[in-house]
Amino acid sequence: MYEFFEHTADIGIKVKAKTLKELFQNAALAMFDIIAHKLPTTQHLSPKSKTYIIKQEADTLDELFINWLNELLSLSATKDLIFFDVRIHKLNDKNLQATVAASPVENYELNTEIKAATYHGLKLKRNKSDWQAEVIFDV
Amino acid sequence: MSELWQGPLEKIDDYRWRIPKSYKPGMRVPGIIYANEKLLKDIRYDKAAEQVANVAFLPGIVNASLAMPDIHWGYGFCIGGVAATDPDNGGVISPGGVGFDINCGVRLLKTNLQFEEVKDQIKELVYALFSDVPAGVGSKGDIRVSSKEEKEILVKGARWVVEKGFGTEEDLECTEEYGAIQGADPQAVSERAYDRGKSQSGTLGSGNHFLEIQVIDQLYNRDICDGLGLDLGQIMVMIHSGSRGLGYQVCDDYTRSMVHCLGKYNISLPDRQLVCAPVNSPEGKAYLAAMKCAANYAWANRQCLMYLVRKTFERVLAMSWEKLGMYLIYDVAHNIAKIEKYKVDGSEKNLCVHRKGATRAFGPGNPALPARYQKIGQPVIIPGDMGRNSYLLVGTEKAQEDTFGSTCHGAGRLKSRTAATRSIDVNVLLKELEVKGIMVKASGRGTIAEEAPQAYKDVNEVVDVVHNAGISKRVCRMRPLGVIKG
Repeated sequence: MYEFFEHTADIGIKVKAKTLKELFQNAALAMFDIIAHKLPTTQHLSPKSKTYIIKQEADTLDELFINWLNELLSLSATKDLIFFDVRIHKLNDKNLQATVAASPVENYELNTEIKAATYHGLKLKRNKSDWQAEVIFDV
Repeated sequence: MSELWQGPLEKIDDYRWRIPKSYKPGMRVPGIIYANEKLLKDIRYDKAAEQVANVAFLPGIVNASLAMPDIHWGYGFCIGGVAATDPDNGGVISPGGVGFDINCGVRLLKTNLQFEEVKDQIKELVYALFSDVPAGVGSKGDIRVSSKEEKEILVKGARWVVEKGFGTEEDLECTEEYGAIQGADPQAVSERAYDRGKSQSGTLGSGNHFLEIQVIDQLYNRDICDGLGLDLGQIMVMIHSGSRGLGYQVCDDYTRSMVHCLGKYNISLPDRQLVCAPVNSPEGKAYLAAMKCAANYAWANRQCLMYLVRKTFERVLAMSWEKLGMYLIYDVAHNIAKIEKYKVDGSEKNLCVHRKGATRAFGPGNPALPARYQKIGQPVIIPGDMGRNSYLLVGTEKAQEDTFGSTCHGAGRLKSRTAATRSIDVNVLLKELEVKGIMVKASGRGTIAEEAPQAYKDVNEVVDVVHNAGISKRVCRMRPLGVIKG
């Protein structure tokens, strides 16, 4: 779903997807995959999931991408939740609307704290048949 | 790193290398990197030098975009970066020049214990500290405060903690800015930032944050050591932490809003993570006021952590912290922006000094220092990696002349976290450290690999450069005995 690229102090990832919506989804899920893994002992439990509607606005697609990821990080940190499902309903260069589902942090083993997604080295591009993003997280 | 950085690095002297202004159109000043030949080789392996050049684009930047010898690739600014801007000349403030972990910093406490006396109790102390000091990703503290109190903390910083009975006036005197930078405005901090910082007071955090029991293994300046009450074999404690979630959110909020300042103030930058606003603009002032809140929160946090450390030592060694001589040497910020006075072209100016992974290093006689450090200069604390050394230095007048009163902040990373994790066997590493007499406790095994000594530059080399370049002076060196990692 995603691969790491080398960065001295932080974590860089490369994400690919068929559509732009999927790219935003995959990047968000990759981010939470770095942050936490579901504890095997809680695998059988049905997650007490909470859903949120996220709306973001920005002037450019790059900005929207970074705002989206940082909004999820911030929400996850304040509510003690890990997001495991993401559905993007509406997405253009300036607006995003999504429904995200999260489960309590106690069901997870936390691996890495991501402080933020950064603009440094950010690449969002459309290839012939897919989309690709490169983003560096401050950890 | 796949490709070497190919830009120019012109030798100024044995410890300074220049990226000329002509390297990239748009650079307003040259870049200057502090390094020796050995460290210089590593610098080309990542994009840190390019970031030094990028910072030179900032409007109002004075003299040069500087980097300390622990320089490595960051986001926006390099880590180890120092940039001063002149607010009277369109100078800007950039949240990326401070970073997400606002006022990440270090404090160093002494004890009157000698290694020989307590060597058999180090293990017990490490376990006790690991259990008593909340650490790790998303860790929560026992300190619960109301939202009114939270606002007080943002203004009063470490003083708030001392007023609650968790420290002394002397602790504040031995903290940069006396533990509370003036001009913090809680109104400039978003509700989300409050929420993100809530219940994290008195927690260490994760990543490179740590708590270490160390022993002094070398003295470089006997007079200063005598003055500070430091000697060979003495047990010390070092605390490395920052402003936790509150700081991250302040940086995120203002990076988000300052993206719009680029057009508004006609600022052109090669990297959007350097977004900024004029220091004197409403946006610049608001960020500075919010950043100061996060900085004060971090000082309060390190004061809480020190309290927990003192309590733990009291419990394990059955003696009061005063009897154990657990006095604070100093607390320094290494991710911060400050308004400080410097001479520029012969006249005194208030400049906005960004230190992104760099430490203030004021020399003797600087009015910002308490009476006790007027003669020797400001103590500068340089944490190394968990397998080598850490240092106590003092600031110099030369730093005030050459580097806007700044020096390095640590060893600096050499390998990425993924590369470290790939190449390091945690069990072998722990054995190696044990042989060296170093015990490590961490919440996650992943952290141990990521933070392995091999992932860092040699702090001894880094300190050699700042000492020989005269921007700080070696006082003594410590080696780790017990390491607690988040």
